[in-house]
Amino acid sequence: MAVEEKVVSREFKEYVRKPNPDWGLDETIKGLTPEKIEKTIKAVIGGRSARIKGVIETCIHCALCAEACQWYLSNDKDPTYAPVAKMRMTIWEMIKRDGKVDAEFIKQCARIVFTECNICHRCSMYCPYGLDITFIIGMVRRICFLLGVVPQRMIDQAYAQSTTLNQVWLSQNDWIDTIQWQEDEVGVDFKDLRIPIDKEGAEVMWLPLGAEPKTGPYHIERTAKIMYAAGVDWTVPGKDVWDSSNMPMFIRDFVTMQRIVRGLYENAARLRIKKMVLTE
Amino acid sequence: MLDFVRDPSLYNFVRGPLVWIAFLVFIGGSVYKVRSLILMAKAEKVVLPFINAKATVRSLLHWLIPFASRNLRLNWIVTVFTFPFHIGLVFLPIFLLAHNVLIYESWGISWWTLPEGLADIMTIVVIVSCVFFFFRRIFSPKVKFVTFASDYLILIVTFFPFLTGFLAYHQWLLPHKTMGILHMLFGEIMLISIPFTRLTHMFYFFLSRAFMGSQFALWHSRDW
Repeated sequence: MAVEEKVVSREFKEYVRKPNPDWGLDETIKGLTPEKIEKTIKAVIGGRSARIKGVIETCIHCALCAEACQWYLSNDKDPTYAPVAKMRMTIWEMIKRDGKVDAEFIKQCARIVFTECNICHRCSMYCPYGLDITFIIGMVRRICFLLGVVPQRMIDQAYAQSTTLNQVWLSQNDWIDTIQWQEDEVGVDFKDLRIPIDKEGAEVMWLPLGAEPKTGPYHIERTAKIMYAAGVDWTVPGKDVWDSSNMPMFIRDFVTMQRIVRGLYENAARLRIKKMVLTE
Repeated sequence: MLDFVRDPSLYNFVRGPLVWIAFLVFIGGSVYKVRSLILMAKAEKVVLPFINAKATVRSLLHWLIPFASRNLRLNWIVTVFTFPFHIGLVFLPIFLLAHNVLIYESWGISWWTLPEGLADIMTIVVIVSCVFFFFRRIFSPKVKFVTFASDYLILIVTFFPFLTGFLAYHQWLLPHKTMGILHMLFGEIMLISIPFTRLTHMFYFFLSRAFMGSQFALWHSRDW
């Protein structure tokens, strides 16, 4: 079978990419209708919040943000990777066409905002006006998320987090079991080392990333050793939420995003700890 | 062909009512634009509570000083053109001797004026910078990709008042009075278009820097 070499955008001739098959983008757009797309776009950016209006009406199209972007710099200064170009190919076009875009365009937007931007905020640091370009990209991500057009890996993690409140489908039992198993492991080196679960009034609450109990449990062991050697009064929460990563944030799923953060703070309040220490 | 410009009614209209209209639209429109954005920000609830006065001032100063920020050093050619350009754009119309004379004749008030030679040089700088920005739009691939007709339009709107003003001062190309009419007309077009085009960045610059400067302070990150 002949492999398609290049994907050239219908709207923007300069936008040339290698094919990047992704179930989350290719299959999900099949269920979209123009009405649904228009309604979603208007729901997210139709009200024109001050932050969106400020960016759209101030940007003088100077492209000084380009040098900030690692995507632009690492792709031979291809103009289609510049932050302002990403706005031009997504939200400007949506506003220009008043939300009347097709599913193929949404797929292209999803590819641009999810796979060619790390929402790192460097472009805002380089913009002479300090425009929050990342916020705009985030709003386009939200449009794509509400339409269900999200790269499969990202939506998987976000679904996991909306279901189990951690990104790796780990139940509360498994979490506590992993902590106790690691406590046993550390016992070889340190006889009196404990990993205190739900210790009220501790100084520090440690919150791992989801991947640590799932695929790298030795991280827990090492953190325990560090805390022991440093003489820190610490604890880990025995209840959800303990995963400090927030994958729904990356697709701008505001509801789940808020549940995660609220859960972390509720744990902190319940245990009356003074500091939260997060991995990474 | 140019007979109509000798008609005093055109001159009187451009010099009289249109000036008032232009200034009313400019001031009223600008107040409306700034006020509406602030009110929208207020309704959004997550913007105004985070505005930090100290960070705002620091951020504004940081970006109003040439070469202070990293990006202005990286794109030093743009910096070399853009700072004199904007200084000329803002201060020339206010402190030009000829403008002051007109105001003095009308209201009997005047203020500090620029030496004529310096004003002439500043005008040339503005004109040359406009040409530079025009060529930058055409030849820089990253800029070209995000350039629309409106970008050329606002460049032309800023370019012509200064070009016609320069020519009127030196009495070149067209009779002085004809050029004067054109100059006033273009100046009025520019004033009217400031609130309704992306030239509003004249005011929104301060608002967006206030927001982003405060965000950087919140994240304990440097304003680059």
